[in-house]
Amino acid sequence: MISQLLARLRSLWRGLRHRADVEAEMAEEFRHHIALRTEDLISGGRAPEEAARQARLEFGHIESHKQNARASRGLRLFDTIGMSWLDVKLGLRMLRKYPGLSLISVIGMSVAIAIGAGAFGVIDSMLDPTLPLPQGDRVISIQNSNVRNPGNPNRQSLHDFVIWREELTSVKDLGAFMSDRRNLIIPGRGVELVRVAEMTASGFRVALTPPLLGRPLLDEDEREDSPPVVVIAYEEWQRRFAAYPDIIGRQVRLGSELHTVVGVMPEGFRFPINHRYWVPLKLDPDDYQRGGGPALFMFGRLADGVTLDDAQAELTTLGLRTAARYPETHAQLRPRALRYTRPFFDVDSPAIAWAFRAAQLAISVLLVVVAVNVSILVYARTATRAGEIAVRTALGASRRRIVVQLFAEALVLSGMAAAIGLTVAGVALTRIQEFLERASGSNGSGLPFWWDLDLSAGLVGYVAGLAILAAVIVGALPALKATGRRVQAGLQRLESRGSGMQLGRTWTALIVTQVAVTVAALPFAIYVAGETLRGAGTDAGYPAAEFVRARLAMEREEAPPAAHRAAYERAFEARFLDRAGELLRRLDADPAISGVAFASSFPGSEPYERMEVEGRGTHWVFINRVDVEFFSVLDVPIPVGRAFDSADGRDPAHGVIVNRAFAERLFGGVNVLGRRIRHVGRSTGAEPGDVEPGPWLEIVGVVPDFAGQLELRQDLLKVYEPAALADVAPVVSLLLHVRGTPAPALTQRVRQITAAVDPALQLHELRSAADAEREIRRIFAFVALVTAAVLLSVVLLSAAGIYAMMSFIVARRRREIAIRSALGADPRRLLTGIFARASAQLGAGVLVGLLLAAVLRGPVEGKGLLLLPAVAAVMMVVGLVAALGPARRGLAVQPAEALRED
Amino acid sequence: MPDQAELLPGTLDLLILKAVSLGRLHGYGVLLRIEQISGGALQVKQGALYPALYRLEHQGFIASEWGTSHNNRRAKYYRLTSAGRKRLGEQTARWNRLAEAIGRSLAVRPQEI
Repeated sequence: MISQLLARLRSLWRGLRHRADVEAEMAEEFRHHIALRTEDLISGGRAPEEAARQARLEFGHIESHKQNARASRGLRLFDTIGMSWLDVKLGLRMLRKYPGLSLISVIGMSVAIAIGAGAFGVIDSMLDPTLPLPQGDRVISIQNSNVRNPGNPNRQSLHDFVIWREELTSVKDLGAFMSDRRNLIIPGRGVELVRVAEMTASGFRVALTPPLLGRPLLDEDEREDSPPVVVIAYEEWQRRFAAYPDIIGRQVRLGSELHTVVGVMPEGFRFPINHRYWVPLKLDPDDYQRGGGPALFMFGRLADGVTLDDAQAELTTLGLRTAARYPETHAQLRPRALRYTRPFFDVDSPAIAWAFRAAQLAISVLLVVVAVNVSILVYARTATRAGEIAVRTALGASRRRIVVQLFAEALVLSGMAAAIGLTVAGVALTRIQEFLERASGSNGSGLPFWWDLDLSAGLVGYVAGLAILAAVIVGALPALKATGRRVQAGLQRLESRGSGMQLGRTWTALIVTQVAVTVAALPFAIYVAGETLRGAGTDAGYPAAEFVRARLAMEREEAPPAAHRAAYERAFEARFLDRAGELLRRLDADPAISGVAFASSFPGSEPYERMEVEGRGTHWVFINRVDVEFFSVLDVPIPVGRAFDSADGRDPAHGVIVNRAFAERLFGGVNVLGRRIRHVGRSTGAEPGDVEPGPWLEIVGVVPDFAGQLELRQDLLKVYEPAALADVAPVVSLLLHVRGTPAPALTQRVRQITAAVDPALQLHELRSAADAEREIRRIFAFVALVTAAVLLSVVLLSAAGIYAMMSFIVARRRREIAIRSALGADPRRLLTGIFARASAQLGAGVLVGLLLAAVLRGPVEGKGLLLLPAVAAVMMVVGLVAALGPARRGLAVQPAEALRED
Repeated sequence: MPDQAELLPGTLDLLILKAVSLGRLHGYGVLLRIEQISGGALQVKQGALYPALYRLEHQGFIASEWGTSHNNRRAKYYRLTSAGRKRLGEQTARWNRLAEAIGRSLAVRPQEI
């Protein structure tokens, strides 16, 4: 693939760069051919002259062969538009001649292209990746979509799955799976929480990948009475089982059950998403009502000769039949056949896929904006070359020829930007991939097996397209304008002025728009970049380096059969509370752990709710339900009021603790102790009045602001409520204060203690709190970096655009200024006149920008608003400085010199 | 000379790849080799040969180098690349499938339907 691409590029390069050599070689090759044919004909008995004539005749028209040969090398396009290597060379010369303009243009376009390419890479790998499986393009997903609510598919499709498996002919080996997590317990080798695919045996047939050792899952494994078996990934066999040669037949504990290892899949196999352990899916439809049961993902392989549309047609027929037969559950459901990966990113309707493409297009528009800016700069430069254009036109160059030359010059600029942008995007995509791998690896899952962010051929093509688009905007459009009807006038005035191009109203409009957009958009962007950067630098507020954190949960049946669901839930809760309590006691008693606290959320990840503050209206507040020991374990002081006591945890009208921002923003920092608040909406979408208000809760303490959120604002209102284990079950956030720095050995020990209490108890995302904090800060830093890069290119381009336009306009009036000055006009008045006009244009832009900003203000509040006048002032200064230089030069021209110019 | 057949569209590239897979050849040599391996049944139009050679070279399936021919003239020789070898394999398999399917279809008798 790469070698072929290189061959094409080499051939194209030679065809363009060494056209004469290539043509000469071609002629020599043809001559050689004709000579050999002549010799053959002579040896066949023809007279030499006749043989030569016959050979030439057989060979045909040499010139047309040459043309066809050039077309075969992909050069026809260049021949048609008349672009040559000379144009490219001129473009390179222009690059050197105007280094400032070139640098600004290339930087601006590189940033835009890099962002466009990065977005393309990510979106494409979500929408249409290549599945690295044999005939991966034949593997599809199937799901029930709701006609009333297309974005919300119904996955409780066990009964449909049974019907489709029997009846679908366009899809073979229909399979289903659900993901689960279990503790993998190997005696002597520790405990690990692993991701398990409960999958039908047909999954292995769909993947068309035979196991490396042993066997895959078989249909009979799915029977309720079959002994539990597991197939493992090659990497797990190496890592967890030390490549033990007799692995097949060995027993391992996965959560509460012992499983026999029956197979090892080959290296890299992760089907259906990112799984490394596969157990049979054991579900009996009789246990559930129609439309009930666990959520399943379904997939299959298209039968030979069947297209996705054919499969959809058959599914539609089956779906309508089911809807007619079971209207109470299926009236609104329609099965859909989708490209395999789409359900996993919730791209399950054409509208959503289009939304992704639209987002990609919108991101590409950034390049258009940048390119328009560059084209303004280039136009100003082209205007100074009006004389050259006029002379070339007079010497017989067609308009097309000149436009092509200017287009080629722009293509050199955009080509360089594309090369830089592609390199940056390549590095960024690799980094994103590494980051995602690390992030997804830290919770034990890993990336989807098809996820490969890399420079694909499609991506390179997309960037080439962007470069051409940019070259059209940057080069061709100004060129068309510059070579328009005024060329003749330019020629006439050439001798006296060197430029006859008029700018007029178009340019005034451009300046106003440019300034307006910059003034409106910049403060917001600066605010976002600044706040994100601040977020990246914020301290956790508690000694995170001394903590290990995890989410405690317990293995459970995904969807217990309806008949005994209530009893199951009761028993599950009782067992969970008992085991979790026991675990907390054992952890507390461990010599390496100095304190254990639980909460409903980790600090910094609290959900928000609507709460009524007595006498202060309702507000969105971030709420954490915490252990009464929470603040003392976290070493967070309580400067005002008191800590929770054990009575708080039991009282429904308990006291609450708020953060400093709460006290300051709602009560101006005056004593808040004794003030009351209450819940008015449990869910984030609820409005006051939707829900019966809870009891009034009294504020008993104030803690410092700590643990920032992945939000722009750092002064968020936070409320802490005392909680017992039962209030935060079934998923509990645990924070363990350790003596000394957390080491991997400690996390392993915590897992072992947990598994010893109950193998079904699971610790999710078990890691050092400092690592988790660092990861969040890294995201902040990345967002800030991208925003800053965009910001910088926008500022550069806007300032350069405004500078170019203003200086160009004033430069055009240089002669007028000089003559008026010669005629005795007061220089100060002249300058005032020039600046009045420049200021009017800039002022109009600033005004429109401020109005736009007022409309778009949105999240920019407080200090962010102060940026508006600052940005407006900077734009004014840039514009006026641009006007100053040419104006001063105009005044400095000697009157005689100015008159001589006529 | 046996009856000469017109080349089917799209088959010239395959024949050129096959010809150069048997050893490096100059343009005229490719022509003669195709005639030779087809037992004279296939004759390539000389005007079609060079665009096809340049296209295959542009696509990276064959590569060229200058050498000296038997009559001591400078000549351009073509050889198969590894991408070309893969392409030849794929195209040959595809052609065989097609030929077999067409052959099977044409051999069907009324009583077999």
